[in-house]
This record gives sequence, structure tokens and C-alpha cells, in this order.
Amino acid sequence: MTLDWLLQHLFNGMTLNMFLQHLLNGISLGSLYALIAIGYTMVYGILRLINFAHGDIFMTATYFAFFGVVTFGMPWYVAFPIVLVMTGLLGMLVEAAAYRPLRDAPKISILISSIGASFLLENLATVIFGGVPRPFPTPEIFTGVVTLGNGLMVQKLIFYIPAVTLVFLVALLYLINKTKTGMAMRAVSKDHETAKVMGINVNRTISLTFGIGSMLAAVGGIMWGMKYPQIAPLMGVIPGLKCFIAAVIGGIGDIKGAVLGGFILGIGEIMLVAFLPNLTGYRDAFAFVLLIVILLCKPTGIVGEKIAEKV
Amino acid sequence: MSLLDVENVTMQFGGLTAVKDFNLRLEKGEIVALIGPNGAGKTTAFNTITGVYKPTKGRITFKGKNITGLRPDQITRLGIARTFQNIRLFKDLSVLDNVLIANHVHIKSNFMEAVLKLPGYRKEERAMRQKSLMLLEKVGLADLKDEKSNSLPYGKQRRLEIARALATDPTVLLLDEPAAGMNPKEAEDLTHFIRQIRDEYNLTIFMIEHHMDVVMEISQRIYVLDYGVTIAHGSPVEIQNNQRVIEAYLGVEENA
Amino acid sequence: MNKKRNAILTIISILLLALFLVYANNFLDIYVVRILNVCAIYTILGLSLNLVNGFTGLFSLGHAGFMAVGAYTTALLTMSPAVKKQIFYMAPLIKPLDAITLPFPAALIAGGVLAALAAYIIGAPTLRLKGDYLAIATLGFGEIIRVIFTNTQNITNGALGLKGIPATTNLWWSFGTAAFTLVVLMSLINSSYGRALKAIREDEIAAESMGVSLFFHKNLSFIIGAFFAGIGGGLLGNLLGTIDPKQFNFLFTFNILLIVVLGGMGSFTGTIISAFIITIANEVLRFLDESIDLGFIVFNGKLGLRAVVFSALLMVVVLFYSQGLMGTSEFSWDRLFDKSRWGRIFQRKPLEKGGTDQ
Repeated sequence: MTLDWLLQHLFNGMTLNMFLQHLLNGISLGSLYALIAIGYTMVYGILRLINFAHGDIFMTATYFAFFGVVTFGMPWYVAFPIVLVMTGLLGMLVEAAAYRPLRDAPKISILISSIGASFLLENLATVIFGGVPRPFPTPEIFTGVVTLGNGLMVQKLIFYIPAVTLVFLVALLYLINKTKTGMAMRAVSKDHETAKVMGINVNRTISLTFGIGSMLAAVGGIMWGMKYPQIAPLMGVIPGLKCFIAAVIGGIGDIKGAVLGGFILGIGEIMLVAFLPNLTGYRDAFAFVLLIVILLCKPTGIVGEKIAEKV
Repeated sequence: MSLLDVENVTMQFGGLTAVKDFNLRLEKGEIVALIGPNGAGKTTAFNTITGVYKPTKGRITFKGKNITGLRPDQITRLGIARTFQNIRLFKDLSVLDNVLIANHVHIKSNFMEAVLKLPGYRKEERAMRQKSLMLLEKVGLADLKDEKSNSLPYGKQRRLEIARALATDPTVLLLDEPAAGMNPKEAEDLTHFIRQIRDEYNLTIFMIEHHMDVVMEISQRIYVLDYGVTIAHGSPVEIQNNQRVIEAYLGVEENA
Repeated sequence: MNKKRNAILTIISILLLALFLVYANNFLDIYVVRILNVCAIYTILGLSLNLVNGFTGLFSLGHAGFMAVGAYTTALLTMSPAVKKQIFYMAPLIKPLDAITLPFPAALIAGGVLAALAAYIIGAPTLRLKGDYLAIATLGFGEIIRVIFTNTQNITNGALGLKGIPATTNLWWSFGTAAFTLVVLMSLINSSYGRALKAIREDEIAAESMGVSLFFHKNLSFIIGAFFAGIGGGLLGNLLGTIDPKQFNFLFTFNILLIVVLGGMGSFTGTIISAFIITIANEVLRFLDESIDLGFIVFNGKLGLRAVVFSALLMVVVLFYSQGLMGTSEFSWDRLFDKSRWGRIFQRKPLEKGGTDQ
């Protein structure tokens, strides 16, 4: 009794190849979710709040890429690094405009401000870039398919995405755990006041956190554009919400948790549609259902630790 | 049977044990103090009794009823009220509203009757107002009833917290550092005040306090916590002469 | 003396409003009447969201979901069987909904009750959460309701939406319901239960320690808020004549949130003022989305520019006027006639930022 046989009989005619195909798809979608989720988790770790605008920063990155490659005709290896830098700067700008002035304000005000920033970016994008979706200019090098040993044909992109994610993840973990900047970030996320006393520039560290999170969102955005080659001003909303959920599932504030949550959500979503095609219409609700379940069973997420409130 | 009986209560946060095997008995009408150096777990002990924290282990009995693991509002309804170390008033609400809210716990009208302002509710509301004003009178805040509570000076905020706690009609009152930030004269007044409300409202009082003058003057019995462990228990005289207590306090002073 | 004056002023205002409504009903053109209707409906929606967000301090973002439940329920219960048969061509409407037609008020109440029921179901798992977790969970539930409505072809007609809903909503219904909502919510807020809600907003831990059951009171606020959101949704559906699931997305909640924040979180009268301001501004600023030729100059509007203005407005309010128009105070005649207060307003100092939720 092989896995192939099991699949075929349990799930009306699914073959092992199909299953592998779905799994690979799930892994690459999960990588994209992970990249975006890291931005949420970093900001949450340092400020204890959702950056509602993160999904829109992700969206803007795809437009930066579009203009770099199409409008200015830059080769991709020039355009993409510029996109990363510009998106990072955008993230810092959002922080300076929507978050920094409210550092001591009630949390509800900061949340509203962040929702405002999110809508502002979406609407500005509609005005400036136009509401009509545009095709994403995927460089030729990233296109094409490969045939695997057992006759399975998959897009090359399916392998590039997790690979690129891994590279950036390693770089990020190095930055956070081995450099002085990373140490400052960790200190600020523990306690703003103490960090300040230790001579850390708290505002600059927070700004940098937004910048790095946004750069990773840009990496995710570029690859998202290649995988789902259409970009639109509202494309960031649903992935944004889902990735925040991914971060919560993994345990918000923890980078490894965000990655884990991203993969769980990505693979889960693809498998839901693959195994239960009747529920395809409910795909976007899957993340929210998962969120509710996690919050009820283990509100701190899979790797998170419980923090008692001081009374 | 004691009024309040805390048996072997342990409270852990992750790997940290904040309170270990805490035992406490309160008899009706007593004034008992809980002392100990900063970070000894006094407030945590309070929080387990009032239901803010669920004890990891142990059992709490109040008036013969097991109240371990009940929610704070349920425990308050049964008759245990408290104040907070770092004052927690309803800041943006008026002084009177702060006290009125504490009356809500015993409301009989349901919300429909309240919205429709039926006679039964009106009567209750009048009674709540009367009682609240009386309590404010008692703590000397009656003429400030319409002020925002966070506009009051610190000492008056502390008194408002006591009035608010009394409005829940408690049997046991837990005071978390009521004399904090007071000068000796104010602390002495507070001592009288605590005795006075104990007699007038038939209270049993359990308090955390650092002012040793207040503690020694007012308490019949004292519990001493250090690093979550009860290191001594006895009358004020016994505690003053207890070697371990002296060491615990001196040890802290050396570090400070 | 003041009491008598205030009562007289209140009665005069109500009469003036009624007179205006009679006038508007008979003489104003249909476009203006429609905007007035929308103003009143947004007032209802704003009031209900303010109860939850402003008075109870629960940052709920699922309001559009409750409106959708109300709108669909009311619409389905008021449409004629013939119309239902006609528009449900993909999959027939389930029994007995296909044959039922109720009078408008009964259908509205049914919409409110179903929305309240949805809130009851949603509240049980989510209201234990705090701050942004609650925000994202309620937002998620709003989305789930929308996804369900898109996929239940034989109840909601799926993405096609409902058409031919009877246009029953008129100024009397909308303003009457708005007034009713205001009276009920005011009465609630000024009762012992209302004080308990405000206590939760101020400090959950202290409220619970004073005997306020968080679960009961949060649910109470959430359910009552949803009830009125459902009724507001019902009025809206029977005003517009067509509804579809896309209408009730997060953007809708955002608009209502903007009304609440601009009016002042914790002020019902502020919400009323800002519901009118936002709704009317939404119409007045329509030119931003279009191009107009003024003869001597051509103004080139751009699609989405109006939305930019509104999102910028929200940010400006939060960043610089966090109290909104009214803060947590309510309009009163005494305030209006209090001269010393006006003096203070005209030499107002910048609002201090209060760090209450640290």
C-alpha cells in the first residue's frame, strides 16, 4: 500500500505527482508569506502593535519594480536592489509619519493611525499608478519550467523562491544575533527605557526595524509579482492580513515563529484547495479560521512564551 | 473555620516561582499585615487571592467556599475587595462615577430595565448614588465628586480607591500599600481611618505595607515574605525580634 | 430655570427637524433626499460602532459584517417572491425564504436580531482578546461573513448580490431609527451598565476587580452594537435597492471608523455631527474623482483622489486632534450657553497626549 495508492483512493484520483506539485507550491507560497510575516513580527516585537500598512508597503514595492524595469528600462539586477532600498526608505517614512508622533499615545490611536496610513498608501497608489492591474515584468531568467525525474513539470520559480527566502533569512538572523545593530534591536524590543539608558538611540533603532522589515516585504513583493504576475493597488490587503495571521500563529515577536507560521499557512491553504476542492471559495477565510483556533488554544502562538501582565 | 483560608498557594510564571507554599488564615474582624522586601511576591499573593492570577497550586477558601480559580469579579461579588499598589482609578471618569461603578456588582435590575429606566431600576440607582455620596463623605471627597479622578492629588486618589473598594460591600478588604508616599502625619491619620472603617463596616483587613510604624501600630498579626517564601508569622512583637526577618531586611539594605 | 429652557430648546429643535424632513420629503430633489437618508443611516452605524469602540474600548473592526447580515436579512424578507425567483437564477433560494414577505419594520428587527446573534457567536471566542488581537480577529470575522455570503448561492445569491430590493427606506424611517438608536444608546450609557462599559474602557483589570464581569459586559456592548449595525444595514439595503458582498468589505468599516474618530471616541453627539460631515463631504468632494470643465479652466480629477483626502483626514485627526470634534463630552444646551467655555476654546492650547494605555 503506497502513498500513491492511498492518495488516489482517499482523495478522488490525486496522484503522488500532483501531491508533490501542491507541496512545492505550498512551500513557495509559504516562503512568500514568511518574508512578509517577518516584517510584522519585527515591528510587533519592538512596538507591540500591528503595522497595518505593511501589506501596502509590500504592494508599493511591486510598483517600484514595475517602474524600474518597464518605465526606466533598467536590467533586473540593477532595478531590484534599488527597489529594496526605496521600499526600506518608504517603511521608515511611514514610521516617522504615522508612528513616531504617537509613541506615548493610547494604543488605539496608534492602531487607527496605522490603518489611516494603510488606506492612504492604497489610495495614493490608485491615484498615482492607476486602478487597473498591470502585468509584472518578470525577467526571463526567472521564467521557464523544469522536468523532474518522475516526469513532474514545475516552474523554476518554485525553487527560486524558497532559495532566495533562505538567503535573506540567514542574513537577517546574522544581523539580529551577531551584529551591534541587531543587539540594539533586541534590547529595544525588551524595554525602551532601559535601552535608552544604555545609550541606544531608540528612535533610530525602531526606524531601522521598519526599514529592514520593509526590505524583506520588497523581496517578497518582487517574487510575488513573478509568481502571480499582475499588480494592483489593493493587492497587499489580503496577503498583509494573512501574513500578520501567520506571524501570530507562529508566535508574534519571534522571527522563526513568523517563518513557521508562513509555511503552515501557505502549505495549509494550497492543500485545503487541493484536497477539498469544494471549499475553494473559502480559501481566504482559511487563515482567519486558523487564527481564531490558535488564539483560543494557544494565544501566544506555537513558539511564543506567555507574558504575564503586571498588576 | 476561618473567614479566609489560603492553603499552600504557589504561583509560578514560566520558570520563576513568585510565591511558594503561601499559607494565610484571616479571622473575622482582624487586621493582618503582609510585609517583606521589594519583589518578595506580596502583590502576587494578593493577586492570587483576588483572582487576577490563577494559582499554579493550592487552595483558597472564603466563608467556607472554595474560590480558587474564580474570576476577579466573582470573588468581588462574594465579598473580597481590594485597592491597587499603583493606583488604578478609572482616570477619565468623575470621582462619583468611580464609586458608582463599584456598586454595579450587586445590581438587581437587568440591562433592559436599566435602559428603559423602569421604577425598580430608578430606585436602585437612587440608592447607589446615596451610598456612594456617603462613602465619599466618609473619605472626605464629597465636594470633589464631579472632578475627574485623575485630577485629584495622589493622597486623595488613594482614599478614592478605598471608597471605591468599600462600595462593593466587602467582608474582607485587601489594601496594597495604602500608606505609600504619605508623610508620618498622614500615615497616622490613615491608621485611625483603617480602624474606623473596620469597626463601622465590620471588615476584616489584610494589607501590604512598607511603613513599619503603621504596620506595628495597627496589625494584630504579621506575615513576612521573602523571595516568595513565608519566613515568619506572628504578632508585631514577635516579628520585630525575629532574626530571619531582621536579616531579610538588612540584606536588602546592604544591596540598596 | 435652565432645565426648563433646555427642555423648550430641545422640543423646538425636534419640531424644526420634523418640519425640515416634511419639507425635504416634498420639495427637495431625490438626490438630496437620498444623501440625507445616507446621513441618518451612517449616524446609526457610527453610534453603534462608537458604543463598542469609543465607550467600551473594544477595538472592533468587524462592523461591516454585521451590517451585511442586517442588509441581507431585511432585503430577503421584504422582496417579493416573484423578484426573488427572477434573480436567483443560478441556484434557487432555499425554502421557506423564497415565499416569505414581511412588513418592513419586522424585517428590520429580524436583521438586527440576526446580526446580534452573529455577534453573540463571534463574541464568545474573540472578546477575550485584547487590543490589536481583537482588532484582527473581528476584522477576520467580518471577512469570513463576507466570504460565506459570496459562497452561499442559494441564500444570498452569491457574488451576484440582490437586486430589486423594495425602496422602503425614506426619511421618516431613517431619521426615526437614528433618533431611536440615539435614545436607547444614551439611556444605556447613562445607566449603571453604561458606567460598567466605560470602566472597562478605562481599565479592564480595575473594572474586573470592582466586580464588573468583563465577559458579560463586553458581550452586551458587542451584541447591542451589532443589533443596531444590522438595522442600519437593513435600512441601507432598502435604500440602495441592490446589495452585494463586495460592498461590505473593510473599506465600509473604515468609513464608519472615520466617523467615530472624527466625532470623538466616546461621544454620541460627536458621531452624529461627523456622520453628516463625512457623508456630505463624500458627495461634495465627488468632483475630485472626475474631470470637470469650468470653462476657463479644466480641473483634472483622478479616480481615488477623494479616498486619499479621507484617509489623510483620518491621520490628521488621530495625529493632531486625537479627541476629535467632541472628545468624550456630549452636546448640551448648558455647554452651548457656557460663555467661559467658549473663551477657553478660542485660546485653546494644543491637546496633551495622554498615555493611558501603557
